[in-house]
Amino acid sequence: MKTETSVISANKKKNQFIKDLRKQKTLVFMSIPFILYVLVFSYLPLTGWLMAFQKYRPGKGLLDQEWSGFFQFKLLFQDETFLRVLRNTLCMSLINLTLGFITAIGLAILLNEVKSMRGKKFVQTVSYLPHFLSWIIVCGIIVDVLSPETGIINQLLLKLNIINSPINFFAEAKYFWGIVGASNIWKETGWNSIIYLAAITSISPELYEAASIDGANRWHKIKHIVLPGIKPTVFILLIMNIGNVLNAGFEVQYLLGNGMIQKVSQTIDIYVLKYGISMNNFSLATAAGIFKSVISISLIVIANKAAKAAGEERLF
Amino acid sequence: MKKQEKGHAPRYKASFGGVMFDVIKWIILILFVIVTLYPVLNTLAVSLNDGMDTIRGGIYLIPRKFTWQNYLTVLRKDSLKIATIVTVSRTVIGTVVQLFVTAMLAYIVSRKDFVFKKFLTILYVLTMYVNAGLIPGYLLIKNLGLLNSFWVYIIPGMVSAFNMIVIRTFMNGIPDSLAESAEVDGAGHMRIFIQIILPLCKPVLATVALFIAVGQWNSWFDAMLYNSFNENLTTLQYELMKLLSSVSSQSGNIDALKNTGSMVTPMSVRAATTIVTSIPIICLYPWLQRYFVAGLTIGGVKE
Amino acid sequence: MRKWGKLLSVVMVASMLTVGMTGCGKDKNENTTIATEGNAAEGNAAEEDDTAEKTIREYSLFVATAGKEVPDDNRLYQQITEKIGAKAKVTWLTGQTDKERVGVMIAGGEYPDMIVGSNATPDLVAAGALVDLTDKLDNYPNLKKFRTDEEWNMIKGANDGSIYYIPIFGKSNGDSMYVKHNDEAFWIQKRVLEWANWPEINTLDQYFDLIQGYLAANPKDAEGQENIGYEILCDDWRWFCLENPSQFLAGYANDGAAIVDADTKTARNYDDIPEAKAYYSKLNEMYNAGVIDPETFTMSYDQYIAKLSSGRVLGMVDQGWQFNDAVTSLVSQGKDDCTYVPLDLTIEEGVATKYFTPAALNVGDGIAITTSCKDVDGALQFLNDLLDPEVITMRGWGEEGVDYMVDENGMFYRTEEQRENAKDSDWVNENLASTIYSYLPNYSSGLLFDGKNAVNPAEQPSEFREGLSEYDKKVLDAYGYTKWTDFLTYTDDVGPWFPIYSAKNTWESSSDAAIAAQKMEEVKREWLPKVIMASTDKVEDTWNKYMDKYHNDTNYKVFEDALSEAVAERIAIAEGNN
Repeated sequence: MKTETSVISANKKKNQFIKDLRKQKTLVFMSIPFILYVLVFSYLPLTGWLMAFQKYRPGKGLLDQEWSGFFQFKLLFQDETFLRVLRNTLCMSLINLTLGFITAIGLAILLNEVKSMRGKKFVQTVSYLPHFLSWIIVCGIIVDVLSPETGIINQLLLKLNIINSPINFFAEAKYFWGIVGASNIWKETGWNSIIYLAAITSISPELYEAASIDGANRWHKIKHIVLPGIKPTVFILLIMNIGNVLNAGFEVQYLLGNGMIQKVSQTIDIYVLKYGISMNNFSLATAAGIFKSVISISLIVIANKAAKAAGEERLF
Repeated sequence: MKKQEKGHAPRYKASFGGVMFDVIKWIILILFVIVTLYPVLNTLAVSLNDGMDTIRGGIYLIPRKFTWQNYLTVLRKDSLKIATIVTVSRTVIGTVVQLFVTAMLAYIVSRKDFVFKKFLTILYVLTMYVNAGLIPGYLLIKNLGLLNSFWVYIIPGMVSAFNMIVIRTFMNGIPDSLAESAEVDGAGHMRIFIQIILPLCKPVLATVALFIAVGQWNSWFDAMLYNSFNENLTTLQYELMKLLSSVSSQSGNIDALKNTGSMVTPMSVRAATTIVTSIPIICLYPWLQRYFVAGLTIGGVKE
Repeated sequence: MRKWGKLLSVVMVASMLTVGMTGCGKDKNENTTIATEGNAAEGNAAEEDDTAEKTIREYSLFVATAGKEVPDDNRLYQQITEKIGAKAKVTWLTGQTDKERVGVMIAGGEYPDMIVGSNATPDLVAAGALVDLTDKLDNYPNLKKFRTDEEWNMIKGANDGSIYYIPIFGKSNGDSMYVKHNDEAFWIQKRVLEWANWPEINTLDQYFDLIQGYLAANPKDAEGQENIGYEILCDDWRWFCLENPSQFLAGYANDGAAIVDADTKTARNYDDIPEAKAYYSKLNEMYNAGVIDPETFTMSYDQYIAKLSSGRVLGMVDQGWQFNDAVTSLVSQGKDDCTYVPLDLTIEEGVATKYFTPAALNVGDGIAITTSCKDVDGALQFLNDLLDPEVITMRGWGEEGVDYMVDENGMFYRTEEQRENAKDSDWVNENLASTIYSYLPNYSSGLLFDGKNAVNPAEQPSEFREGLSEYDKKVLDAYGYTKWTDFLTYTDDVGPWFPIYSAKNTWESSSDAAIAAQKMEEVKREWLPKVIMASTDKVEDTWNKYMDKYHNDTNYKVFEDALSEAVAERIAIAEGNN
């Protein structure tokens, strides 16, 4: 009996699906190029993942290579260095993620509270300018600012009697993640806030008016109108960024790191460059790439499930 | 205009808390402006300072030994004219094409009961987290015949999953009633998309257009990888990358270096390059900015 | 709607521009014609009616290293092109590693006509991308003559008996005439030597005593800046300044990866030898005495150059080419007394040194012609013509009467104005050939084929002396030397394996030796600063901990064995047994 009903319901579902398909034929028709496009440009090249199971030498076809099974993966996971760079990547990512979200949203809300149009435009334009400076310039400035000899931070701390002798910020591992986090904020907060500003503009002015009539003050409005208004954007970006936690970057750590603090400064990308690309080992780089993809996709699936359970905006 | 300036943000009664809020707000913003303006002004100062003098350090906001030399080095480059034309073309075409195509995909996946909605979304979302690697990507472009072609700047990046999701999220916030009533009036999807949904998405489209334009303007890797042997397809950033790496080629072979004592240094050329390439894109910003900075007066109410 | 219309028209215009450009790009591609008059012809107008034109063969050349782009209208580039009827369009590596870029080329199977593969050269050979030149070279006498038979044998030995590429560098025509030291040495500021009344410095202890003494007597310089005793550059790949001085101090040449025992022909690391311990203990002592800059292990290369350029740094160990910019800056500030002379130090007095050695033949890299080249003979002819005696003179000195003069004895010299021009990098870039074709074969030192003049104007004895500042003349005279390299002892006793570090580049990244090398680097990078910065009572203990870590955590034996193997291979090749 049970099977019969399920067959019927399956049939029903199928019929419904075909009916929907017919009804939505314009949309289906519009989707086809998009499906073909993504298959060709994003999924077809993934055949290159086979490299991870080979000892790839450029020049020979992908199927004429020497196969090595899980050799590259074993190489990764047996290496304590890889586990350490994994930890560094995760920690720096989480710091960047948290600080980045708070500062960008905070700036967007503050800007929204600025009454003078000119002031608002000015602050915003200035705030996103560092985005256009390359990391090599920004890191040069950071190194100057933190220099024990001439850096303004050390001079300030000395003058305020907070420290007795200058701190050599890049000689001690405990400062490094903080410096990287701060550098990221410095460079990207203004840029990242743009997207939230756009989201804030979509909030209907009627909501504010209604709230004003109810006697709400600014805090109330931020809490009950602005934050809920940008919540979908925040959640979507959060889920997408959670998928990126294994991409903590490469340049900052590379430019600011040094031998004494390499244990905390190296990220997966630096590892891949050092042991993979610069040593001509495309297979190892691919294996690390696959590892990152698997982790990323698992994380967004989990985050998406969580968002669904919480009844919030989700990715898919 | 005057009315807009006054009326755009909600007014509050001048209470003590309100005043405190304003004071704190401005302190934070002013600090923020100082901190973010510094690197830019520093870069400007370095770009206007003699390279050999700069390497001694100690340049902050004002050039110590003023010179246009760094800019001359950058602007004297042979291929700059072609590179500028190519870069402007790819930025304009690339932005328009990607914006339209991405918005269309966002429209499709924002239709509430579309049968392939989830499938399509996932298909695209995953592309953000999978990367085939350098060589397979190169082989694809080669096999598609896109090597040594302008279209390699446009076609492979036509749809961006990230931007699609951003636009979709915005579209999800548009009341369904609008599209539905149009549908009742017999409008097809193309018409609803172009005439109803797109105009309502202006703030997010302006944002995404900025993202795309900046990306197009700044990209050089594709020019290097796919078109480096065709000097008519070079881009601004690639030319400047080449210039930079040529000034900083000190690491090269001793014999090759023997006679070349350079007076411009990587640091100063990099600064000049940064200023030269940032200016156009910074000028684009205020034009797009009005769509999302203006705030509430424009947000919901039609102009 | 109006807006869309506007936008659309912008797009149309832009795309038309682009299509137009790529269109006219196509007919400019293959054989470019230029006017024999030597004016820069853009090649667009008046192509048909001018009969006085000849076809110029053009070859694409990719060099897998960063390099200087030369303007197309550089005067000597045009003159050389005109003279030999061919030119190369050079593309340099940008923003990628050599192996990455070449790897992509190999995967795609398309190459420029000629290529310098740098570290990726073995990959190009393995992929069959390079044309075998073994039997062709006899037709090109200048190329053939560029290397001796013994050298050709070594090149063949590196690739199973075939010649796929021609090593470019380190070729002197006759004896080398180097006037300044470009390689590694301990450096000391001239003002310090002057202060101590021009002493002879031979040992590490003498060197640091001098620095310490000067620092005590002159804590600040004339401008009131604090003097810095000693710097050790450790930024990124430049960290060899930290780790490799032990080999020199022990009297070995710069084999880079290890020292090679001349009797047993085996490679051995230089990290745990007694000289290493002596060196780092000395550094520790100096660090605690405040001689070494406390920032030294964290500073970037830019900061390092900034410090040197300020004239405050009394001494350091470094490769000569690495701080050229700082020297240029010091000279332009009139601080000639703050520039440096090289010293070849040892731990004990009386040890023969090998700081100053002949340029090594690197058989692992060179200029090659690829299988994509449609005119292999033409390309070889082009390379051959570049080594024509007259062209060599043009590449080194420029145009007679314009860039240099010839006296009644046939000796070349420059007038004051010509000398000034040659110092102006912009002028050089637009006029002289010294930066063009810098990665195509040429003699880098020695005499021209006239047997009188130096290949390199800077090494022409009269030119060198004329170019010196008064202060520099005083320094050289005080020691009775004629050139800066006289501060060092020259030796060509380096063994056929030299330099053994080039063997490291050929290791598979997943091989045990390559992994061992990476681990060793990590340990050294972390522990050497620890040893140097340890407090005086802890230094012994820290050194022992470092050695424990080094001996237990790294596979240094595997590393040494792999290098010893390479030494044996190279000896066999040099003796013709391969």
